[in-house]
Amino acid sequence: MAIRLTPTELTDQERALQAEVRAFCDEFLPRGSFEPGLGMSSGPSKELSRELGKRGWLGMALPTRYGGSDRSTVDRLVVVEELLRRGAPLEQHWTADRQSGIVINRFGTEEQKQRFLPDIAAGELCFCIGMSEPDSGSDLASVKTRATPTDGGWLLNGTKIWTSNAHFADWMICLCRTADADTPHQGLSQLLVDMHADGISINPIPLLDGTADFSEVVFNDVFVADDLLLGEPGNGWQQVTSELSFERAGPERWITPIIIVENFLREYADHLSEAALDFLGHTIARWWGLRQISLAAARMIDEGKAPALQAAMGKDMGTEFEQEVIAELQQLVDIEPSLTSDSQFSRLLARAVLVAPSWAIRGGTNEILKGIIAKGLR
Amino acid sequence: MSEQDLLFETADRLFGDVATFDEVQAAQQRGWSEATWSAADELGLTRIGVSEAAGGMGGSIADVVALLMAAGYHAAPIPLAESTLLAGWLAQAPGIVLPEGPLSVIPNKANDTLRLENGTLHGSAHRVPWGRNVSLILGLVDGHIVGVNPHDARITEDVNVAGEPRDDLDFEGATPVFCVAATPAQTLERFALMGALSRSALMAGALLRVVDATAQYTQERKQFGKPVGSFQAVQIHLVRCAEQAALVDLAVQVAAREADRGPASFEIAAVKTLANDAARTASRAAHQAHGAMGMTQEYVLHQYSRRLWAWRGEYGDASWRSQLGRGVATLGPDHHFHVIADGSASGIAL
Repeated sequence: MAIRLTPTELTDQERALQAEVRAFCDEFLPRGSFEPGLGMSSGPSKELSRELGKRGWLGMALPTRYGGSDRSTVDRLVVVEELLRRGAPLEQHWTADRQSGIVINRFGTEEQKQRFLPDIAAGELCFCIGMSEPDSGSDLASVKTRATPTDGGWLLNGTKIWTSNAHFADWMICLCRTADADTPHQGLSQLLVDMHADGISINPIPLLDGTADFSEVVFNDVFVADDLLLGEPGNGWQQVTSELSFERAGPERWITPIIIVENFLREYADHLSEAALDFLGHTIARWWGLRQISLAAARMIDEGKAPALQAAMGKDMGTEFEQEVIAELQQLVDIEPSLTSDSQFSRLLARAVLVAPSWAIRGGTNEILKGIIAKGLR
Repeated sequence: MSEQDLLFETADRLFGDVATFDEVQAAQQRGWSEATWSAADELGLTRIGVSEAAGGMGGSIADVVALLMAAGYHAAPIPLAESTLLAGWLAQAPGIVLPEGPLSVIPNKANDTLRLENGTLHGSAHRVPWGRNVSLILGLVDGHIVGVNPHDARITEDVNVAGEPRDDLDFEGATPVFCVAATPAQTLERFALMGALSRSALMAGALLRVVDATAQYTQERKQFGKPVGSFQAVQIHLVRCAEQAALVDLAVQVAAREADRGPASFEIAAVKTLANDAARTASRAAHQAHGAMGMTQEYVLHQYSRRLWAWRGEYGDASWRSQLGRGVATLGPDHHFHVIADGSASGIAL
């Protein structure tokens, strides 16, 4: 059976929040005051993260008793789309806000919630995700990083790779093997790992655009105390798959090229060809439609439903669309994009050309997502 | 469950019973399905979206869109979009009471030459849906809402690529059944939007059917000893259909909601653009997943893929993209995101 979504729209309250966030961004992040980034890879700014935390715009879905604001997935969507569309530097809080806090709130102990959630909601803590390994990408259940019991905790050994923002993160939620089991999906657990602990080495891996957002993280007899096991031992696979579904449907999956198209409009306003108008019209229609999917999926989450298939479709379509936009723009402008150009449009386009392939890979490759969707259609 | 969901379910059941594969095939020869019309008419579905003052059942645009989605899901071979949404919109001019029976409307093609001279109709109207089958044709001509009997025209029969009647009508001084001044809101531009919304709704339904047909076929058809749907390369086609259908399904419901509040020119132009994209990509993917079976008239897919191709060309294809693009360019970069977030309320002009 076909997969469907129910239309929704922002309430007056949500619109008021949107207006507040817009006013804040206009004041705190005026155009020209910073070099915009592309979506989630926009670099960290502790200052921005703290300001957002002060306003209650981080950890929005977390309970107020842990420093959150007990708001909704739609509220968070309203906040993040305003930041993302401006290319705001949000990497300091991004992972913690989007998923780590939610996973800790869902599976963590009372003590863990009290220890981590208030700092996440304040924008003070940066998290990274320890999932992929040199031999475990899409086949996540094959991870080999292992935690062996020791006095008062675990000794962690292994290597994580392609870990975004590991070099400035405070904590990692690390998926590792804590027991041997009959099937690879059993015997996995999630550990909260202090990134400053002894035995951790972080080796940056240069990306195609020359930045080092990615790292290899090597654990060599890293001690992790018992009280940093997240959730049930052996329940890691269930926890990690629910974590992945949280992160799929957000605006970061379609919004990335907006800042480039807006710069295109700025720099080419006086000589827009018929082909450019066709592109702009086609693109605005697709953007509007994809946003409706994000919004409808967020509303479903707030209604207690689990839109796993809808979210997977949103990510698959959204990221494919983002890549098409970059390709179509390049066809239009006939320039040599350059990271060092005087034109912000050219700089952003060059960066986008270099990183666009990652959009359809991170957070579950589009091929894996299509497999999930196909199963759901049976 | 919303009123629209209930209406969709009712219409889905009805069309499922009467607009069967064989009936849709037969309609291709006969031009339309009288049985489908009678069944829908009996339930009052053929006048939803027409005000009670004009002889209809009333109902919102969202209601009609739900009905047309169900009609699209079953390829109902009747002039339902014309008799409900489009005739209903034209009949908003005061004093019009629509007769019973199937209706059609003049789609206003670029090469039309229709005009009023001393109260009589002259010139030609092209591609009138089911022009040969209906009792009355409505149109917006020279600022007037005109109702005319097709028997008063010379009819040149033709069909679209789906085999649905699209007839050219030539008038030489026909006297309209009625002719009243259009309201200020009844412009050709707004009529084109209603036309685009009607086709988008039909297309959303057809796309959902393409998904269901493709999901079913790829489970049943076995090659190399297993269902073809177990091959990843085939799954990609199925998923592409499902994604396009979900996008247009959701977008057309949002557009309908907005059209009940105002002109919704952005939302309608956007959803027709998305539906036209989907007609191309979902049909191609569905045919690829079906292999040779999908190329025959013995199997159900063509009843939907051909309609998607036909409806893509009706009421605007590339023209919507350039209109939207002009609107975006005029509004400028500072308001670009507001269009995405707020649609027509952003102030974008088409």
